Amino acid sequence: MNKQDAKALTKLSPSLHANVQAIRTRFGGSSDLIVRLFRSDAAPDRELAIAYVDGIVNADTINESVMEPLMSLRLPEYMQRRGGKLLDALRSCVVSVGAVKEISTLEEALQYMADGLCLIMADGAASALTAEVCGGNQRAVTIPQTQTVIRGPQYGFVEDIRTNISLIRRIIRSPNLHVQIHKIGKQTNSNVAVLYLHGIVDEGILKEVYRRLADIDIDGVLESGYIEEFIQDETFTLFPTLLNTERPDTVAAALLEGRVAVMVDGTPIALMAPTNFFTFFQSPEDFYQRYDIATFVRIIRYVSFVLSMLLPALYIAVTTYHQEMLPTTLLISLAAQREGIPFPGLIEALLMEMTFEVLREAGLRMPRAIGPAISIVGALVLGQSAVQAGIVSAGMVIVVSFTAISNFVMPELNMAATSRIIRFALMLMAGMLGFFGIFISVLFLIVHLTSLRSFGVPYMSPLAPGPKMQGVWRDVFVRLPWWAIVLRPMDLNLRNPKRRPSGRKPPAQRHSDKP
Amino acid sequence: MRIGKLFMLMLSILLVSGCWNRVELNDIGIVSATGIDWKDGKWQLSYQVVIPQSISGQSPSPGTAAAVNVFSTSGDNFQSAISKASQETSRRLYFAHNQVVIISQAAARKGLEQLFDVYLRNADARETVSVFLSKGSARHMLEQLIPLEKIPGTAIQRMIANEEINSSVFRQMTMHEVLKDLLGTTQAAGIPSLSVGGTNESMDRADKLAKTNTPSKVRLNDLGLIQKDKLVGWITRTESRGVMWLADYIKRTTTAFTCRQGDNGLKESAVQIISSKTKQRPEQQPGGEWMMHVEVTAEGTLLEYNCGGDLSKPPEVDKVERAIEEEIKREMEMGWQAVRKHKADVLGFGGSIRQKYPKAWRGMKDDWPERFSRMEVKTTVHVKINTTGMSGSGFKKMQEKARS
Repeated sequence: MNKQDAKALTKLSPSLHANVQAIRTRFGGSSDLIVRLFRSDAAPDRELAIAYVDGIVNADTINESVMEPLMSLRLPEYMQRRGGKLLDALRSCVVSVGAVKEISTLEEALQYMADGLCLIMADGAASALTAEVCGGNQRAVTIPQTQTVIRGPQYGFVEDIRTNISLIRRIIRSPNLHVQIHKIGKQTNSNVAVLYLHGIVDEGILKEVYRRLADIDIDGVLESGYIEEFIQDETFTLFPTLLNTERPDTVAAALLEGRVAVMVDGTPIALMAPTNFFTFFQSPEDFYQRYDIATFVRIIRYVSFVLSMLLPALYIAVTTYHQEMLPTTLLISLAAQREGIPFPGLIEALLMEMTFEVLREAGLRMPRAIGPAISIVGALVLGQSAVQAGIVSAGMVIVVSFTAISNFVMPELNMAATSRIIRFALMLMAGMLGFFGIFISVLFLIVHLTSLRSFGVPYMSPLAPGPKMQGVWRDVFVRLPWWAIVLRPMDLNLRNPKRRPSGRKPPAQRHSDKP
Repeated sequence: MRIGKLFMLMLSILLVSGCWNRVELNDIGIVSATGIDWKDGKWQLSYQVVIPQSISGQSPSPGTAAAVNVFSTSGDNFQSAISKASQETSRRLYFAHNQVVIISQAAARKGLEQLFDVYLRNADARETVSVFLSKGSARHMLEQLIPLEKIPGTAIQRMIANEEINSSVFRQMTMHEVLKDLLGTTQAAGIPSLSVGGTNESMDRADKLAKTNTPSKVRLNDLGLIQKDKLVGWITRTESRGVMWLADYIKRTTTAFTCRQGDNGLKESAVQIISSKTKQRPEQQPGGEWMMHVEVTAEGTLLEYNCGGDLSKPPEVDKVERAIEEEIKREMEMGWQAVRKHKADVLGFGGSIRQKYPKAWRGMKDDWPERFSRMEVKTTVHVKINTTGMSGSGFKKMQEKARS
């Protein structure tokens, strides 16, 4: 809105017909623009009009709460009460919609109409009323598609930002949950909401989020990915520095930890910042199921992340450079598989990895109905036949399959994608320099990771730099019982870093202890 | 642009300097055993190369062909012999997975200095290989197929490992152990030998393993004594166990004994020693000669007992323990006499003296073999039987009881 204010604004004219004409022209005579002129018995001398864009408003609300009162109004009585001002009278006494606002410029009127509001105009008034009658077809709240849990809430965000905010509000029932909506996108004018918990969030980080959002100048925002690329700290990195989720409980948890959430209208994916490397290994279910199991699966996740990056590279390095490192029987069985394979190990691995990536992408993009076909082609034709035909060795197929599966363990898809790309680089390094290549690549990765920041928070914290407070380790590699997690996870400058007063379990009363 | 240029530079560094020692699995010939012969004034090296497909390949019927191929090359030294191998094989010989080295008697008597240099100098020659001697040709040993295992080299390696932990007549002499002994205080080592037992028919065809019995088989035989770097003599299996007792190498073994005193006939009972500890205590005799007190403490389980007597009574068990102690003493005496004859101190006596009396050792280290053979050994054995098994009195007693 600020940018539009800078331009010359057109005041609404007192003539109703002129205003209607202006609106029609600015909408280019669009056929879904509905303008209805009418007269009411009670005020026969003044013509009234409502205007809205069909499809994004709730027709029932317009009929019941706007049209009906307007048609049947007994204006003179009201007008007297309101000092003869027609629109004032309409706003206070007639229109029975929650949010009604008076505006005076044409640009505002057009913007509100595009947002799905209904415009009420009267002849002789140089302003208009807007009524919130948003509606139209919306997808219902359903089970999240990407981040599934067994234990935990089974609903996800939808495309409508108002619904999404309401889902958060239903979890955090507190006035401290602050929501600020910005309009971003010159053409789309998308609603971008910033959510935070007042009193827990770090003001500096919040200010930084606002500053970065204000700097965005783009014609349209269709998904939160647009915003993510504008506000992330580092563009040239493979590692994501913002979390995303389609789960309201994940957003609520992030807010409680002192993060800022950014939601974009039109997508179920919300962003959360700042974040660190270790947050990407935490699934919401970690916090819902028992802590020992959660710790176990979390360690599994770290291991499989490393495996999904390193396994093919290690296989290449060991089989082409360091055969002495394998146990003799394993070496012989691998050597037997490799007999008659025409390609070097590196090419063989790249071939299989590429095949898998193609299959995966095809599986995502193809129409649902062709699904079974691709699994047959993928599993049987490419996997089994390639081995039988002697093009790739069975060991390589096992390595590639396990790598692929371990990649799916990651709860955050963007971190999983990172490991997939790094895997290829590591494979090339392993193919050219063996273990030495893997070693220097991993060293480079570690240096790179420690140099990253997410909204000023070091990416590898609390590992590097070390924790400023003791006790942050209780929810990093392991998850201790909830009563032991005293601190909020990140090493931020939190004003109140403690979640609960002490790390002691509330004493349990045993029945047998009672006298 | 700068990033692009940097990337190109990095890539060219990788492409130019990378891959130089890359070798695919199907470009190497995995050597599972090496044989060393001294023939016509040259070293003859034999290699047992694994054929992976015939072990676990996707070939139609693994097992019908022999899993290994044996061939030899010769040369003035080891490395020149090995380098000649590329003239007769399509793959680079790969020694990192070599399991055993078999040295023929002739080669061992010639002296093994050159072999040890190869192992000390080269990175791909592993000191973890087991070393064996062979009275006949080493190549002949490599050609023998062994039932149960596909690769004879692995079979021999597992045979000695099994022997060491379950019977302890021989101990696994890895190249590392051999070098440790030969570069140690007494510069002597005992290396077990292999021989082909049975009809002496060569088991060099895979189809000979199709039958349930094999006419001949590879087995562990005498212990060869190496002094400096040459073979000086052989001692038998029984003597070898005596050596193991004396030198504290017994891990677990089965000792046969009899409870009839002074009887050297049939030993009808057996005990399994499950743990044993030998202590050596040197002592200088008045005449300047040395005496070694060897004290063995062992624990065991009675496996077979056919002497009668009620073992539920402690005095009876004590009697059995004394009988076992006598037997172990006798074995040690046999072992001691055998090694003293060859003047090769594989018992670690020299080491014990050096540790305790370093000054005295300095004076006699040069004529140690002579002094060693003049030494006296005094043995004491303490055996404790942990359990007599599930039967207290034995079959004979129970039968008598049942009759009455």
